[in-house]
Amino acid sequence: MPEGIRIQVETHLGECKACAESFQLVSLANKVIDAEKELKSNPFLVTRIMSGIEELEQNRESHQRIPGYQRILRPALISVSIAAAIFIGVLVGNIYLPTQSINKLPVEMTYMNDAALESVDLFSQL
Amino acid sequence: MTDSEIIRQIVQGDRNLYRKLVEQYQPIVFRTCIGFLHHKDDADDLTQDVFIQAYQTLSAFKGDASFSTWIYRIAVNASLNKIRKSSRNQFLQRLETVFGGEKNKEYSFPISDNENPENILILNEYKEWVQKALNSLPENQRTAIVLSKYDDLPQKEIAEIMNTTEGAVEALIQRAKANLREKLSSLKKKSKK
Repeated sequence: MPEGIRIQVETHLGECKACAESFQLVSLANKVIDAEKELKSNPFLVTRIMSGIEELEQNRESHQRIPGYQRILRPALISVSIAAAIFIGVLVGNIYLPTQSINKLPVEMTYMNDAALESVDLFSQL
Repeated sequence: MTDSEIIRQIVQGDRNLYRKLVEQYQPIVFRTCIGFLHHKDDADDLTQDVFIQAYQTLSAFKGDASFSTWIYRIAVNASLNKIRKSSRNQFLQRLETVFGGEKNKEYSFPISDNENPENILILNEYKEWVQKALNSLPENQRTAIVLSKYDDLPQKEIAEIMNTTEGAVEALIQRAKANLREKLSSLKKKSKK
């Protein structure tokens, strides 16, 4: 800044409170920005970037090595197998019938003596 | 060897040459990312993403603009995308800090031997104001001020990166400075209450 203008600016800042405050805010903002500019990146960043690219290339090559039909066929076959296994399981479960012992008497019935039971006619005669 | 020759050889298969470009342009990409993100670790990660993205689209580089202009554009777009994404995740981040999550490690002002500790506290508080003020700017103003203040680029180069005219860049920078002054002033008044 030319000397004459610099002196005028300084004089004005000494007189005008609003401009002085504004100037202080801008100066501090510049200080903050300068401090951020001084920050240095990770010293191993270049190595990280090159490793990332190496990994990218390896994934691309391994992806290209698998034939196209395998990439689609294998997941499709796995899905179909799982669906078939579930279906067969449900089918087998429906075929299974629990054994029904129709002729088997309940245990309590063996303790009952029909001959000892009172006849219903006895009550009707009374 | 010029950048175009290096790029031609990389596209033809000599990917180890890419290290040369990375070493040359990594500082400027990092500075651009710092200007947007204000956080060293995030800027490191984003710089890595920028160079990997640049590598993936290297074959699309026609040489119409310089490589530096091209990489600046990728860095700016990546930074803005990151900011948009993180503003959507802000709610989750706030929840995380409430439940004892690790707060982002932020840098403090470098301490010099003759620096008054009170001044350091004031400067660190002021750092937050400045970052808030910069983050509140519209995207195009923010881009212009970052490229101007952090990367010290001339308006002509900023116009080329932003794909606009020099006059438009000057207007953006002036408006950004005015908005910054206003925002900083209101933050200072709030802190006094």
